[in-house]
Amino acid sequence: MQALLARRNIVAVGIIVFAILPTFANAYIVFVANLALMYILLSVGLNMLLGYAGQLAFPNAALFGVGAYTSGLLRLEFDLPYWITLPAGAAFATLIGLAIALPALRLRGLYLALATIAFAQAALWVFGHWNSVTYGGAGFRVPPMDFSPLPIDPPTGIYYLSLIIVLVAVPLGWNIVRSRIGRAWVALRESEVAAETLGIDLTRYKAYAYVVSGLYAGTAGALFSALLGIVTPESFDLFQVIVHFCMVIVGGIGSLWGGVLGAVILVGLLEVLRTFRDLQEIAFGGLLLFTVLVVPGGAIAMIKRYLPGWNEPLRRIGKKR
Amino acid sequence: MSKLIVSDVSISFGGLKALDSVSFDVKQGEIRGIIGPNGAGKTTMLNVISGINKPDSGTITFDGTLLSGLKPNKIAAKGIGRTFQTTKLFKGMTVLENVMTGAHSQLRATPLSAAFNFPSVAKEEEEAADRAYEVLEFMRMERFADHEATLLSFGQQRLVEIARVLVGQPEVLLLDEPAVGLSVTRVSEVEELLKRIRQERGITIVMIEHVIRLVMGVCDRITVLNSGQKIADGTAEEVINNPAVERAYLGSKVDVTD
Repeated sequence: MQALLARRNIVAVGIIVFAILPTFANAYIVFVANLALMYILLSVGLNMLLGYAGQLAFPNAALFGVGAYTSGLLRLEFDLPYWITLPAGAAFATLIGLAIALPALRLRGLYLALATIAFAQAALWVFGHWNSVTYGGAGFRVPPMDFSPLPIDPPTGIYYLSLIIVLVAVPLGWNIVRSRIGRAWVALRESEVAAETLGIDLTRYKAYAYVVSGLYAGTAGALFSALLGIVTPESFDLFQVIVHFCMVIVGGIGSLWGGVLGAVILVGLLEVLRTFRDLQEIAFGGLLLFTVLVVPGGAIAMIKRYLPGWNEPLRRIGKKR
Repeated sequence: MSKLIVSDVSISFGGLKALDSVSFDVKQGEIRGIIGPNGAGKTTMLNVISGINKPDSGTITFDGTLLSGLKPNKIAAKGIGRTFQTTKLFKGMTVLENVMTGAHSQLRATPLSAAFNFPSVAKEEEEAADRAYEVLEFMRMERFADHEATLLSFGQQRLVEIARVLVGQPEVLLLDEPAVGLSVTRVSEVEELLKRIRQERGITIVMIEHVIRLVMGVCDRITVLNSGQKIADGTAEEVINNPAVERAYLGSKVDVTD
C-alpha cells in the first residue's frame, strides 16, 4: 500500500489528471489548474535560490512581472506569435535576474533580503509609472494567443502549453539539483568557507542560482500574461512575494518536489478563499506559522517521514551498491 | 624537495599580530606538525595557506607556484585540501554526497549540461560516486555511505570530513586538530590513518594538533608557534628539549628561594 504511494506513482497520477482535465472539467477549474502549473514553475525556481543555495533573496516576484510585461508588450505592440514572445519574456527576465545577482552576490542574510525586496518594490514602481511603455497603473490587455493552425481555442492552448513547459522544466531542475551544481548549492548554503575550500566558486554558483531561478520566474510570467489576458502592476506586488515564499516554505524548503507540492497546495487555498481577500492573508500567515513551528521541513518532510520512495538524493542513483 | 614554502608571512587583525613573519617549508611526503598554546596563530596559519585569510606580507609557494593572493577555491583546485577544527559537514546530504562534493573540482558539469543530463555528466557522476565510495572504503566508513552525515558521531564526522577532502586527490592535506575530543583508541586509529594517507596516497600532511602523543607518533618535523611567532622547528626530540618551547607552554621557571 505504502509502496503504491511512492513519488513516482503520485507524480504519474498527477500528470494524467492534469493531462485529461480539460476534457471533463469546466473552464474555471481549468483556469485554476493552469494557475497551479504556473506557480509550480515559480515555486520550483525560487526553491533553488532560497532552499538549495540558501540565498534569502526575493527577486522572483519582480522577475515574474518582467516576464509578463515583456511577453505581453511584444504581443500587444508587435503582434508577435507566442513562440517568440514567450521565450523573449523568459530570456529578458533571466537577464534582469543576472543583473540583480551581480550586486546581490556581495550581500548576505537580512541585507540580501532587504535589498531584493527593495528591488521588487522598485520594479513595481517602474511597472506602474513608466506610462509610455507599461501603460501605467491601469495596465494593458494582451491580445489572445493564436494557436492556428492547431484546432484549439486559446485557453486550452495555453493550458497545454503550460503543462508541457512544466513537464520539461521540472525534470530539468531535478537533473540540475542531482548534479555537482545542486551539491555546490547545498554546500555553500551550509558553509561558505567549507564549500570554498573544496574548490567551489561561490560567486559563480550563487549567480547560477539567480539565473536559473530567474528563468523559471520569467517563463511563468510570460505564461501568466497570456493566461490572464491583462497585465497590471498589482499582480506583482509584495503579496506575490509572500505567496512565492509561502509555497516554498509550506511545500518544503530545499526540496524540489516540495516546491511542486507547495504550489498546488497554495493555489488550492487561494482559490477556496478567493472571495475573502482578507482571509487569504490571514490563512497564509497561519499556514506559514504552522509550518515553521510544527513541520519546519514543510509538507514534503511529513510525506518523507511516512512514505518510502520520496527521498531526494543530491546525486543520480546509478548501479545499486 | 620542498612542496610548500611559507616565507615571512605576517597578518594582523586590528591591533593583534596573529602571525609575525613566520617561515617554514614542508617536504614532499612529510607529515608536519604545528603546535603551540591557544592563540598562537596555528589556525590562522592554515587559513592563510588555504586562502581564507590574505597575508599582509610574505608569500606561500606550492610546487613553485605562488598561492598567496589566490581565492580559496583556486587554491583547493591546485591540490591543497583542508579540514576544520569544528567539523563543517553539509547538513541535508548523506555521507556519500558530502564526499562527492569534495570531487567538485574534478567534475565538469554546467547547469546546462546537467539539466539535459549529457552523457558526459552521467558518466562523471558515476565516476565521482565510485571514487567517493573508494575513499570511504579506505577510511573504513563505507557502511555509513547512505547515512545523513550530520547525524553521525563526532569522531565519525571528523573521518567523513577527511574523506571529503581526500576524494579531491589533494597533494597537500591541511588538518586542524584531527584528534580533538577523540578517545584514546580513536587517536590510535587516526595515527594509523595518517600514516596510511601518506604511504598509500603519497599525500603531504600539515597538521595542527594538541594531542602530543599523536604529534610525537607521526610527525617528521614540528613547528612551534607562540603569539604569532615561530619559536622552534625540528624533530620531536629537538622541539621537546627546546627551552623556548618549555617556556611557552609552562611559563618561565620561578626561583622560589628568593
